[in-house]
Parts: sequence; structure tokens; C-alpha cells
Amino acid sequence: MNCTHCPFPTVKPPFLFLLNPNFKTLAYPTSTRVLNFPSNHPIRKPLLSYWRKSPNFNPVSENFQVKASIGSNNGEMGKWMSWLPTGGLAADKILRLISTATSSPICQFISSPTTFLHSVDPRIKLVWLLALVVLPARAQIVVRFGLVAFIALLSVLFLPKPVWVDQLGRVSLLCGILFILSGLGTDGVPQLVQSRTPSSSLTGLPDLPKSLSGYSYLIMKLGPLQLTRKGLSVASTAASLTFIIFQSASLCLATTTPEQLAFALRWFMLPLRYIGVPVAEIVLTLMLSLRFINLVFDEVRNVALGIVSRRINWQQLTMKETVDVFASYIQRIFKNIFKHAEQISQAMIVRGFRGDSNGHKLYFLSDSSFGMADLIAVVCLIGVTTAALLSENFVV
Amino acid sequence: MNLSTLAPTSLPHLSALRSTSSTRDNLTENVAIEGRNINFSVKTRQGKVVPILKDCSIRIPSGQLWMLLGPNGCGKSTLLKILAGLLTPTNGSLFIRRPKSYVFQNPDHQVVMPTVEADVAFGLGRLDLTNSEVRSRVSKALDVVGMSEYLERPVQTLSGGQKQRVAIAGALAEACKVLLLDELTTFLDESDQMGVIKAVQNLLEISGEVTALWVTHRLEELEYADGAVYMEDGRVIMDGDAARISKFIKAKQSSYIDRINC
Repeated sequence: MNCTHCPFPTVKPPFLFLLNPNFKTLAYPTSTRVLNFPSNHPIRKPLLSYWRKSPNFNPVSENFQVKASIGSNNGEMGKWMSWLPTGGLAADKILRLISTATSSPICQFISSPTTFLHSVDPRIKLVWLLALVVLPARAQIVVRFGLVAFIALLSVLFLPKPVWVDQLGRVSLLCGILFILSGLGTDGVPQLVQSRTPSSSLTGLPDLPKSLSGYSYLIMKLGPLQLTRKGLSVASTAASLTFIIFQSASLCLATTTPEQLAFALRWFMLPLRYIGVPVAEIVLTLMLSLRFINLVFDEVRNVALGIVSRRINWQQLTMKETVDVFASYIQRIFKNIFKHAEQISQAMIVRGFRGDSNGHKLYFLSDSSFGMADLIAVVCLIGVTTAALLSENFVV
Repeated sequence: MNLSTLAPTSLPHLSALRSTSSTRDNLTENVAIEGRNINFSVKTRQGKVVPILKDCSIRIPSGQLWMLLGPNGCGKSTLLKILAGLLTPTNGSLFIRRPKSYVFQNPDHQVVMPTVEADVAFGLGRLDLTNSEVRSRVSKALDVVGMSEYLERPVQTLSGGQKQRVAIAGALAEACKVLLLDELTTFLDESDQMGVIKAVQNLLEISGEVTALWVTHRLEELEYADGAVYMEDGRVIMDGDAARISKFIKAKQSSYIDRINC
């Protein structure tokens, strides 16, 4: 590959390509210093060993200047030293990553645009969630993948594009990894089996009959690894169950307010009052937790931002000192969170809460009348459940 | 009027207030907040007693907006917390009309529920109201602070100023007689600041009997107040007409600047 802006050959050292495939390195003889790395720099060793493999390379007689650009060959030189993850910078990057992360946690309620799922009763949504946890575990592989497709389709239809692209991307990646690991890992290690002894030729018994329908326990072989029917079953169950649980919960949380969820949960738990379950306390705790989660996210982000803004020279710190900074970071987070908890309890007191959840009424102001959306949701639920149950009898 | 709330914690410290009223009856009829010789101190780990408030006496007439001013660490917030019942004074006597509401400086400490609507309704939990009554109060309160379109919004998606307004709406929804407001405008920009001040003023004008005590650092807010109390080093230095207090603080500021320039 040659650079279009200069007559010197453009090369791509393999380790840089691993960091970013768009890096294009220009190497040409100059009168400047050989390589601009300190002698103890971790990048120096692999770089030099790479160049030494070159038959014409002579570090004594030739000087090189190494520059890099990102993206197309537009001649723009990037400061690619800053991209390299070194010890000190890694700590800085972690804190920067935390500090720049959004304060809004994943799966928060999206109030607009109002979709069909927004108008479904939260109690029906909870029943749907329960069905979606139970069905994939019991149903055939076709039904499992069908449910995955159904949830993905619902996400695409009812969530804003940036949200579903982000959510489906993450969940698909996680489930893909899970599928490969559990699929190849289930029967990856060959079982210690004993062949039939004594052999059929000695006993005079006939050989075991081969499958007439072409059944094979082994589906695929990848070198030492093998994908078997058991592996496929385990992988499809684990991956589809994970996908459905994560994505259906995201979908539910994105289209239901925390109060609606608490209302639905309370409605289902109300009969438990008679056996002494503190339903009001559980519901209040749930509501407070849903609020407090965001404060924890904020606190983690703000304290990280505080450390980043101090412009610590991480490269000068020893490993012990770096660990010390992280320890004080975690300590500060806990201190602040406990302080928040104390302040919130004070706020609850001044707002009339006297410690008795039954004495302090929580108002659920959303409309809970049964509408057309609820009817459609119930019919769909019955349809999906019936299909899943029937698949056990009809799908082999 | 319920006089039982005027509970002296230490009789020997009772002394006359700097008030114009001559009789006790007149005092309690026209007064929404009254504190006499309030002392508050904390004990350090070494066992040393540190006084925070020293013989503070205040008297806020009913239906007025008063401001509590003073430098950082002078005890304004502590005094407000004592009035709210969050702290118990070491000694002194206190009277405050009920129901009372307290709004924290940091709205993240005040807003306890995950969505706007639920949070404003939280304070009404102690009252046995119907859903329609609660809905009406919540919507009116949010309307006053200009947040009526944010009913279902998750609290974490709001800005600092919006959270502050939700916190104020929560206090307004409770239809309290006394509003204790701790540096409300700290997180607000100028337009939001004026919006909140005017919202509180409107509320006082409409109801006629709501009293607000507002802790602030901003001198420009004094022009909206009926009266003010100036504190320094745990003591009430001056109280009365807002214009007089404003003049007093400005004189202090200029003398301080003169001292620096000398």
C-alpha cells in the first residue's frame, strides 16, 4: 500500500492495525531521531522487532520518522501516541469514560411519542413479562427464535430508532457471545465414553442400527470444538431467554412509568396482605429505589468528573498510588450516597412521612380502565401461549 | 389558634422579642413564625460544644414574604431546619403555624419519587384525598411553577432548575400555611429565578394567609420581600423592613470594599 502524498512506502504494522484498522503509518528516512518513544516504552519492543524482520532494516545507518493518520489518506497526521493504552493513561481513560457516561440509566421511561404499548394496562404488561420468561424455557427451538423475532419487531415498531438500535445492538452482542460459548462449550470437551465391549464380532450380536432418518447427534465440527444437538438446545435456550428477558424488560420500562409498574405490582400483591406481607412497604421501597438508582448513577459520574478535572498525572503515580485513588473514589461515592439517603429521609419527614407506609398513601393517578389496547394485548398473549404449548406436540 | 405548639424548651431564656406588638394575643394572631432566644449547639468528637445559633429571636408576620440573609456559615439554614422541625434547639421557644412545608436547597434531596406527578403528590399521602382531588392539586401546583407539561417526565431527565420547581410544586400542593425555602434560586438562571419568586409572591397574594421565609444570598431578591432578617455568626443582627436591611447590607459591603482598598 502506498501513500498518495509522498513517494515513501506506507506500511501497516500489525499491532497498530489491531488498535485501529484505519491507522496508516508512513515510514520514510529523515534526519530526525529514529523513533520518538522512551527506551522503556512498551510499544518500542514490538515495533523494533517488527522492523528487524525487514531484510533492509539497519537502525544504525537509517533514521525513520513514524507518523500516522486516521481515516482516509488525507495527509492529516494524528497524535496516535495518545491512543495507546499505557498503564497511567488506562486509569485516566476509565475515569473519563465514567465521567462522560450519560446520567440517565438504561431503560428509562420514554414519555413521547405515545405508542400502543404506552396505553396497555401495566398489569397486562407484567403478565406478558412473566409469560415471556416461562415460555422460552419450555418451548421448542422454533418458538424460542420466534419470540426473539417478535420482541425485536416490537422494539423496532414502538421505540425511537436511536433507542432500539442501541438496545438491540447491545443485547444481540451479549446473546451472540452467550450462544457461541454455550453452544460450543456444552459438548466441547469429549465425554469419557467406553466403546461397546466385547465387540459385536466376538459376541455374535448384531451392530447397533444406524438412524434411518439421517439423525446425527453431531451437527458441526470446528477443529477441536463440536456443536451437538444438546449444545444447540442449551445455546438457543440460554441466548433466546437472555435476549427476551433483557429486551422485554427494556420495552416494558420504556413504555411504563415507575408508578404504573408499582401500581400493577401492588395490585397483584394485595391478596398477600392477608398472610402478613407488608405490601405498602414493598411498593414504597420500590418507588424510592427507582428514584435512588438515578442518584447513584449521578454520584458515580460526578465524583469521577471531580477526579478527572484535577488533571492528575497518572504516569507519575505508582500502581499503589493509582489503586489508592480508586479506593478513595469508591469511598467518596459511598459517603455521598449515604448522605443522599439521609437527606431524602429528612425530605420524607418534612413532607409528612412518619415511618408508617400504611399510613402514608401513595397515589397512582394514571388511568387504569380496560381499553381496546388491553384487549388486543390479552388476545395476543393467549395466541402466543397457545402456539408455544401446541408446538410441543406438533414441532419435532 | 393552636398555642400548644408554642412549647418553651427552656423557660429561663424567654425574653421579650424585638417586636412592636404589646400583648401575647396580638402576637400570635398576626404572627406565623416566632422564635425566642433560640440556641443551638453541637458537640464535637473531642467533647467540645460548638455554638451554631446564639440567642436568635425572629418574628415573621402572617401572609408575608420574608428573607433570611447572611454570610456563609452564619446559621441561616440551621435556623430554617429548626423551624421545620428537622433539628431540635438546645434551648429557646418556638411557634410556627401548621401545616408547614420545607424546600431544600438541593432539589435532589427534596424530590423523592421517580416521576414529576408522583413526587408532587407524595406530600399529600398523609391526607385522605380522592384521586381526582389529588390530580387537581398536582396540576394546579405544577401550573403555578410552569411545569404542567412535565407530568409524566422522569425526574432524572429534568435540569436543576426544573427539579427545583418540582420541589416547590410539591410544597405548594400541600396547601401549607408556612413555606420555609432554603436558597431556592441557587440552581436557577435569572429568568427561572424571577419566575420562582413571582410564583411564591402570587401564591401569597392569592391565599392571603400563606407566609414564606426565604433563605437567600442574592441581594436583588430583597426587593420582592416584605421584610428581612440579617444574621451573622449565629446571631440575628437586624430584622425588619426589607429596604432598611438592603441599605444596611450595602453599607457593610461598601465599608468592606473601602477597607480592602485602603
